[in-house]
Amino acid sequence: MALHMNQIQNTYKVSSLTKVNATYFRLSFDAPALAKAVRPGQFIHIKVSEGFEPFFRRPFSVYRAKDGKVEIFFEPVGKGSRLLTSKKKGDSLDVLGPLGVPFAMPGKDVKQVVFVGGGIGVAPFMLFSDMLKKHAAEKVLLYGGRTRAHTFPMNEFKKNGVKVFTATDDGSVGVKGRVSELFNKVVLLPSTMIYTCGPRPMMAAVQTFVKEHGLVGQASCEEVMACGLGACLGCSIMTTKGYRTVCHDGPVFDLKELVFT
Amino acid sequence: MNISVRIGNSVFLNPVTVASGTFGHSEEFYTSKEVKCLGALVPKTVTLNAQQGNAPRRICETPSGMINAIGIENAGIDAFIIEKLPKLKKVGVPLIVSISANNEDDFALMVEKLNAAQGLAAIELNLSCPNLKKHVLVAQDAQATESVVRRVKAVSDYPVIAKLSPNVTDIGSIALAAEAAGADAVSMVNTFAAMAIDIKKRRSRIGNFTGGLSGPAIRPIAVRMVCETAVKIKIPIIGMGGISCADDALEFLIAGATMVAIGTYNFVNPRAPLEVLEGIKAYMKENKMTDIRELIGSIQR
Repeated sequence: MALHMNQIQNTYKVSSLTKVNATYFRLSFDAPALAKAVRPGQFIHIKVSEGFEPFFRRPFSVYRAKDGKVEIFFEPVGKGSRLLTSKKKGDSLDVLGPLGVPFAMPGKDVKQVVFVGGGIGVAPFMLFSDMLKKHAAEKVLLYGGRTRAHTFPMNEFKKNGVKVFTATDDGSVGVKGRVSELFNKVVLLPSTMIYTCGPRPMMAAVQTFVKEHGLVGQASCEEVMACGLGACLGCSIMTTKGYRTVCHDGPVFDLKELVFT
Repeated sequence: MNISVRIGNSVFLNPVTVASGTFGHSEEFYTSKEVKCLGALVPKTVTLNAQQGNAPRRICETPSGMINAIGIENAGIDAFIIEKLPKLKKVGVPLIVSISANNEDDFALMVEKLNAAQGLAAIELNLSCPNLKKHVLVAQDAQATESVVRRVKAVSDYPVIAKLSPNVTDIGSIALAAEAAGADAVSMVNTFAAMAIDIKKRRSRIGNFTGGLSGPAIRPIAVRMVCETAVKIKIPIIGMGGISCADDALEFLIAGATMVAIGTYNFVNPRAPLEVLEGIKAYMKENKMTDIRELIGSIQR
């Protein structure tokens, strides 16, 4: 099943960099085979510069994969992601991927899918909703951002038939408060599947919700990462089964297995 | 062109290997032909009993390198022999198994288990892992190094490699102690004790408080240590410390290393070992060398 390194490590050409709003960017590159292979929740590991600074690659979940292009959605918060905002069309990008365990696709019996995304954690749900276009389930996105600057038009989600509810910490858009304030927007069904990605406190709240309602959920986790291949054991997080690597055992885990401290 | 090298009675088809703990699942991502380009495979250090490893955060990026304090997370020697070793043997590349223990009896017990498992090319003694909260490491004490190596040599069916810590005043004296005890080679260097601080939180960036620095940042120090040690001992040196490309590896070979290991840079470029091997061959061809021994220790003094 694993692709060989000569298939998963490649140099691609940047096709576009788009500023979404004051906070977020989108970067896309030409990668037909990668676009075909990647599954929602998997990530790509990008070498953002040619030298040793920054030293590590940077992991990004895939936002879109179509028309032979792969796109990431990111917020330039650190050294690595800031460098990405200087990429221009035609620049080379050394990428490892697709890596990690994807979200489990919902079965036909699932009548409702709820995505819970916080900030940049919304990224994998775009690709997920693209792939679920033909799935009959009701699709809902509960999105939480800090301020208006952390929200963006959700038209692409809406085009995919996803109902979107937004919460902001300051109430500037949607409901005021954390994304957990949006749980009551959803009329749960026995078959509801919950998928979440975002800050750990948010995912902890989703875990509590899932446990209370006896639902099944999955979470995509993020950690500082070196190899991305399960070699260094640097990105391990505690789970009910002991330490597990985010890059190789995850990034997607059964929500109930995560241990939040 | 002869690029094969020897440690004890084990022969390696080329001098390029990997540092323990840096090449976990990567062999799955190499084609079977590519993985055979490695001179040896070195899996992550194994301990007698399972260890769950240190609490996160375990790694931190630093200028041209990283600090790690993983804590030798592993399933223990029995699980290693049953679950991992058969797959590793199937790869068809000589295996150097890295082990660590808290006392000599445990070292000897592990070696006996590995004797019974058969088929290894060598055993590497991790005497220098700086992450397990001891005050002095075996590798920081010449007598302790000599004692552990002697005990292991007495039981081992395989050549024995002592992995040295750079966190000492005189690494040459530790290498001499290992050699005197019968070590078949030394590997050098392990990581440098280090820390990085988050100034906003005024906390260490590493869960274990301190960790080990590796990567290109340490390479010049490692090259100097190999160069100094190479003239003191007769046994081979496996040189490592920040190798990112063939030119880096050539520095170690010229300084006197018989083999070179790519460590941390596997995390950035998992194909680095293959590129290093190609680069060494190209360099030898360009310099009309037909035997790797013309290269090893060829530094002009």
